[in-house]
Amino acid sequence: MDFLYTYIVLAEIYVLLGLSTNLLVGIVGIFSVSQAAVFGVGAYIVAHFMMAADPLSFIPSLAIAAACCIALNILVTLPSLRVSGDYFVVTSFGIQLLATAVFINWTVGTGGANGLPGIPPPDIFGLPIETNQQYVLLCTAASVLGCLAFWLIMRAPFGRLLRAIREDETAVAAAGKNVLRAKVSAAALAGAFAGTAGGLYATFLSFIDPFSFDLDASILLLTMIVVGGARTLAGSIVGPFLLLALPQVLTLVDIPTTIAAAARQLIYGLLLIAFMLFRPQGLAGERL
Amino acid sequence: MTAFMQVAGLDHRFGGLHALRDCSFTIEQGRITCLVGPNGAGKTTIFNVITGFLVPDEGSVAFRDRKLDGLRPQAIVRAGIARTFQNLRLFADLNALDNVMIGIAGQFGEEPVGAIFRPLHTSRAQRRRRQEALATLDHVGLADRAHDVVRNLSYGEQKLLTVARVLATGAELLLLDEPASGLSAGALDAVMALLRRLQSEGKTLLVVEHNTRVVQQIADDVLFLHQGHLMAQGTPERIIGDPALAEIYFGGAL
Repeated sequence: MDFLYTYIVLAEIYVLLGLSTNLLVGIVGIFSVSQAAVFGVGAYIVAHFMMAADPLSFIPSLAIAAACCIALNILVTLPSLRVSGDYFVVTSFGIQLLATAVFINWTVGTGGANGLPGIPPPDIFGLPIETNQQYVLLCTAASVLGCLAFWLIMRAPFGRLLRAIREDETAVAAAGKNVLRAKVSAAALAGAFAGTAGGLYATFLSFIDPFSFDLDASILLLTMIVVGGARTLAGSIVGPFLLLALPQVLTLVDIPTTIAAAARQLIYGLLLIAFMLFRPQGLAGERL
Repeated sequence: MTAFMQVAGLDHRFGGLHALRDCSFTIEQGRITCLVGPNGAGKTTIFNVITGFLVPDEGSVAFRDRKLDGLRPQAIVRAGIARTFQNLRLFADLNALDNVMIGIAGQFGEEPVGAIFRPLHTSRAQRRRRQEALATLDHVGLADRAHDVVRNLSYGEQKLLTVARVLATGAELLLLDEPASGLSAGALDAVMALLRRLQSEGKTLLVVEHNTRVVQQIADDVLFLHQGHLMAQGTPERIIGDPALAEIYFGGAL
């Protein structure tokens, strides 16, 4: 049963990350490959404040992490205002590598490659979250709120504006709209989602290391969006639940543990290619 | 008396190409002014300058006694000037109604905080805006196509939709880049009728147009542009009847 709870909690955390990535990549068309870096910053910040000599409780720590991730995501998305399309992917790739380098080498702040153990469990206004059931409740609440926010945005004029920006920024400006402000707002929102996911992740696992937030993780997020379906709420939910089930399914197949991780990466890669070729709209999305 | 819009001394080079040379003219309120000239005369460049998409090397644009120099495109739309594009630039994945609604200014829920925290107010405001947009679509004759995706509209319908989108901004001065080009005879009549109707409702139009018959039928004023310079300004009869201008226009030697 523990295994099922863990799966649900992780999938729900990845739903928040899926929303973050889908908003930028699917809706606005900012092809970010550095969402895992923002996720990581959220995780490390929450860990830092909850493990400080004079520790903060979970909610204030999460608020600080979300605020920092909003600022960070705006900052890393800003180049997309100047460099477009393919060039931004390269910039974003660089940001991801830079973040990984900091996570690994800034030993004082992040524990370096050894990671950061002993992160305390969260509490909601004094009520400690310790059992798996409580965790599922917390993460379900967070992911439902995230999905609700995403849904509200997509049916509001803001959602229409973001989709129009993806199609033609010049035409949006000619229609009298502020493209810069809309993009910054979307980046802020995506940052808040990723930061929250980071905080939940750190306190749930109680241990984080740089390898949860590296380029592979960013690409996994993109794969989730492509397989689940870009541009839709359903796609952001289906993708994480499906792809996180894959390692569990692999444990049922009789392969040596030494090659299990490699096999997983291989299957993620094959899925990404197959979906791009044969079903670019994913299982529940629109054509990317 | 000052002009409705005044363009003064525009000069611009793209590298070695001298696209605009000391170009000046004025536009009177409530009139249809056609901007004509051979390919490469600088017609679209002038549109780009007026609407803030291109900052000229020299010169300035004033609208209702207000200098527009240095304003961003969205600020110029708010000041009351909106444009269409020769290559339409519609949002192909959105339906006709959404294309028009993008043009409507000051909508509630156009930023995330309002959209998330005041959803009911957002949808109420949306319903009113949708009525406005439907009325605008009806105005250009596309009411029955409101929920069709742009890619499924005919070329003529797409052209009408670009006009609906600028109308939705509420701008008083509309800059239309070749609204009649590439249209069938029937669609052409519909566009010309629409332009006259807009004029009768108080809009001022500046129209780039190649078809001299269209120019003769709709223009009050004609601006003749050649090599980035205003060569002549006058009534359609005078400009189109001028053999020297016709020589330039139809590709004669200088």
